[in-house]
Amino acid sequence: MFWNNVKVALRNLQKNKFFATINIAGLAIGLTVFVFGNLLVRYETTHDAFFEKAARTYTIGSIAAPALNVGIDKFNSVHSALGPLIKTELPDVEYVARTLIWEYLVTMGADSYYQGIRFADPELLRIFDLDYLHGDETALDDPSGVLITESIAVKYFGRTDVLGEAITLDNEYDYRITAVVRDLPLNSHFNSLVIIETDFEMFIPLKALARMRDFDEAGEWDNLSLGNMTYVTLKEGFDLTWLQAQLDGMYGRYVPENIHEVISAFWAVPLVDANTSIWVSLGMPVIAVVKILSFLVLIVACVNYTNLATAQSLGRSREVGMRKTMGAEQGQLITQFLVESLVIAAIAMVIAVAALEVLIPIFNNLASKALTLDYLGSLPLLVLTVILVGICAGLYPAWLITRASPIDALRDVARKGKKGSTVRSVMIGAQFAISAFMLAIVSVVYMQNEKVKNASYEFPRSEVYVLQRLDVDEIRGRLDTLRHELEALPDVKGVAYSWQVPYQQTNSTLNASRVQGDVAGKFSIQILRMAPEFLDVYDIPLLAGRNIGRDMANDSRSEDRSVINVLVNEMALERLGISSPAEAINQRFFDVDDDGGLEEFVIVGVVPTQNITGLFNSLKPWVYYQDNRNIQVASVRITSDNMMRTIGQVEETWKRVIPEYPIQGRFLDDVFNDVYNILKLMNGALAGFAFIALALALIGLFGLAAFMAAQRTKEIGIRKVLGADSLQIARLLVWQFSKPVLLALCIALPAAFLASSNYLNFFADRIDTAIPILLVSGVVAVILAWVTVAGHAIRIARSNPVLALRYE
Amino acid sequence: MLKLHDLYKVYRTDEVETVALNGVNFEIHAGDFVAIMGPSGCGKSTLLNIIGLLDSPSSGDYFFFDENVASYSESQRSVIRKKNVGFIFQSFNLIDELNVAENIELALLYHDMPASERRRRVADAMDRMGIAHRARHMPGQLSGGQQQRVAVARAVVGNQPLILADEPTGNLDSVHGQEVMEMLRSLNADGTTIVMVTHSPAHADYAHRTVNLFDGHVVTDSKRAA
Repeated sequence: MFWNNVKVALRNLQKNKFFATINIAGLAIGLTVFVFGNLLVRYETTHDAFFEKAARTYTIGSIAAPALNVGIDKFNSVHSALGPLIKTELPDVEYVARTLIWEYLVTMGADSYYQGIRFADPELLRIFDLDYLHGDETALDDPSGVLITESIAVKYFGRTDVLGEAITLDNEYDYRITAVVRDLPLNSHFNSLVIIETDFEMFIPLKALARMRDFDEAGEWDNLSLGNMTYVTLKEGFDLTWLQAQLDGMYGRYVPENIHEVISAFWAVPLVDANTSIWVSLGMPVIAVVKILSFLVLIVACVNYTNLATAQSLGRSREVGMRKTMGAEQGQLITQFLVESLVIAAIAMVIAVAALEVLIPIFNNLASKALTLDYLGSLPLLVLTVILVGICAGLYPAWLITRASPIDALRDVARKGKKGSTVRSVMIGAQFAISAFMLAIVSVVYMQNEKVKNASYEFPRSEVYVLQRLDVDEIRGRLDTLRHELEALPDVKGVAYSWQVPYQQTNSTLNASRVQGDVAGKFSIQILRMAPEFLDVYDIPLLAGRNIGRDMANDSRSEDRSVINVLVNEMALERLGISSPAEAINQRFFDVDDDGGLEEFVIVGVVPTQNITGLFNSLKPWVYYQDNRNIQVASVRITSDNMMRTIGQVEETWKRVIPEYPIQGRFLDDVFNDVYNILKLMNGALAGFAFIALALALIGLFGLAAFMAAQRTKEIGIRKVLGADSLQIARLLVWQFSKPVLLALCIALPAAFLASSNYLNFFADRIDTAIPILLVSGVVAVILAWVTVAGHAIRIARSNPVLALRYE
Repeated sequence: MLKLHDLYKVYRTDEVETVALNGVNFEIHAGDFVAIMGPSGCGKSTLLNIIGLLDSPSSGDYFFFDENVASYSESQRSVIRKKNVGFIFQSFNLIDELNVAENIELALLYHDMPASERRRRVADAMDRMGIAHRARHMPGQLSGGQQQRVAVARAVVGNQPLILADEPTGNLDSVHGQEVMEMLRSLNADGTTIVMVTHSPAHADYAHRTVNLFDGHVVTDSKRAA
């Protein structure tokens, strides 16, 4: 019986090749997306699970205080002072280890590279069971030891047995290699965190950091950088809830009062979630969205199938009647039709798997991930999906067609009546609701991203070449020479040193007040440390007063003065209660936090309010001052012609002035793209989903329109004989599908509005209103639907009426 | 074997009430060959559908082997039907996706019969109808007469005691029509009860008994010596 059903199913497919192709292609696309989405979600949510203690290990992050105002409410990182406190305070925590990421110029053998290094507590190697080629987990117990991966060893030495080899950091600090481990797979948070570019490559004891820079091994409360991770492994029997409760208690006992304005709580996250916690931080539920969208695409594909199968099954009414006459019961016939849809789902799945075999390597390559379609592990998912899709998509047509009494079925009452047409309309509506919903969201996200991009042209980002890593003593002494030499190049318009460049997500603030010591009247103001050339290089106009000077007293920060002349932006004036730029000159404000150093600021110039950090950040009050000891980057403004030649000249100049350090240059465009690419990537992914959903809906609509037109051939013939022209016929056919599509929009667009505001909330500077964009995408969806149906309708309508009548 | 007592069948739509059978009484005995005749719309097919348990009467009694099946549900009727009744239709009603042998096998498919037994009986029925050489052909590749032979084979393969034929010759030319009638006659001679709706007096002559219907009444019921 079963094989008989399969046989009939295959023959039916053969007979109706056109509809079979549409059916199978649609389902295959839906299944491809769904399985891919599932693999991706599983991949992203099982990072680090291969570590032996993964289930007991947690990362500790921070929840940002509202006053911090950075657009991100959670960090994966935490102040380095917390780790040692946990060690002494919580005996039930088996291991604690911190890692801090710093980049250094690393010299091994003959080669020097800038290398991101994780400075770690020795216990890190007890938490994570690494695969040691040489050395063991005591590698970081030695304060001058270094642990490197196999590929780093090969990169520098060309071999892996390099224990005891010397390496030098910043041409000054010596270490020796104490362990070489196998590379970690890509699916570890060490390698995959979106914001942090340093992969799992090199580890040095945290103790060593204290001798290279101003760092206390006991940890600090005044620095919170992305990438400052703290890992804990709990003893058996303790869980996340317990850990979070302990951390909440410690927050109250240990976190200094002024840090309460930076973080409002600690945030414990299971190790396996560390990879995806970036999305939680950004407030964007990307993993959930991938899950939902791939599921929605599958639904669209299933509905597609159901719709076509329903329409088609009406043509098989006689067969059902005959089988019933022969004694088949409804259950047996439903089984028959379900076997057919299972066969189709299985064929579609085979095609989908073949497609994935092609797509996954391409995706892995593009996204540097290591997704695999492991057949054994995925088999339950694949089989279950086939069964569920086969049954869900096939049940309705099976039930509809087999429910008629044998005589009705033989007389083919169903085909003549309007049976199932409401359900079909609802299904078309549902498909269009889903695809219009996605299309609308994509449009909103796209427009918002465009807005971010357009706003970013405020600074000449394609004409600024940024030289990084200048905060090294040996370089600092030669910065003046470098600037003069660079300025002498014909196509260099200016060179400005600063702590940060626009779009760099660095956050440095002070609490300012008009009156000295007035804590109640304080507000947070962003600090931009820069050289006077900054205004020229970035085309920033002065609204009043003068620029900071290079050689004037009080125009530059120094240890022995507590007063400094500064520039402020207009927003800062507003917060200070100064009504116009002209009035601001020579006004003063104060740093109310007593942490030594600078206290008094004298305004000598006013600049417009610009979005220095750009992207999703809001406009903020900024103070600009000169601080020659805190310089990290140089912005080299070059003319737009012969850029590559100019860059070459800049590099040559660098090599001449600072030969012992390689140049670290990149365009400001790239700095902007660091974050913007994430937004673009999300939009691209959304657009992919939306395109597939819409394409499926249109394919389904086309198939259904073809079928319904065939059903109405006789009616069309009669209408034509009676004098209807082609246009009227075409309109008739098109209108049949317009009502459900239009109704679908009424549901989809409000839903898209709600969903897209979720994305928009992330941005301080939002597109004025999403509604026109939503409406336009709705109109686009309707027009696409019309064109799809009309193409077919016109062909039918033009055909000879006699042919149409002969049909029955 | 079958007994119809005061049988009514009324079709209702929103506005119109159509009485298809208006108090029909008659009896069919085992081994009968009955032809039902009458003009279009007189209720012939309705009667045949009720006799064949494809449909149920609006009121009245219908005894099928002494069992009153008048108020049975479709699933109850289905059980009796598949054991006892074979059907032959004017339009053959062969399934286009199945070949000849499979179409015939269809009649056995819902009978809990082992595949080997099914194959044996299908081969047997094809031999009897002279279509064994067409076993792998699809219905579309056969002439009308050949298709109707397949349909007859399908009706007899289950060895049901009663065969109902709804204008079995209506779509056939006279030569093929006669062929089918000969088949029915020989089936009847082997003991199968046959009830046939026909327009053709010539074909009605093959039957032992002719029932004339008019507006849902039995007008005449004439027997002929076999």
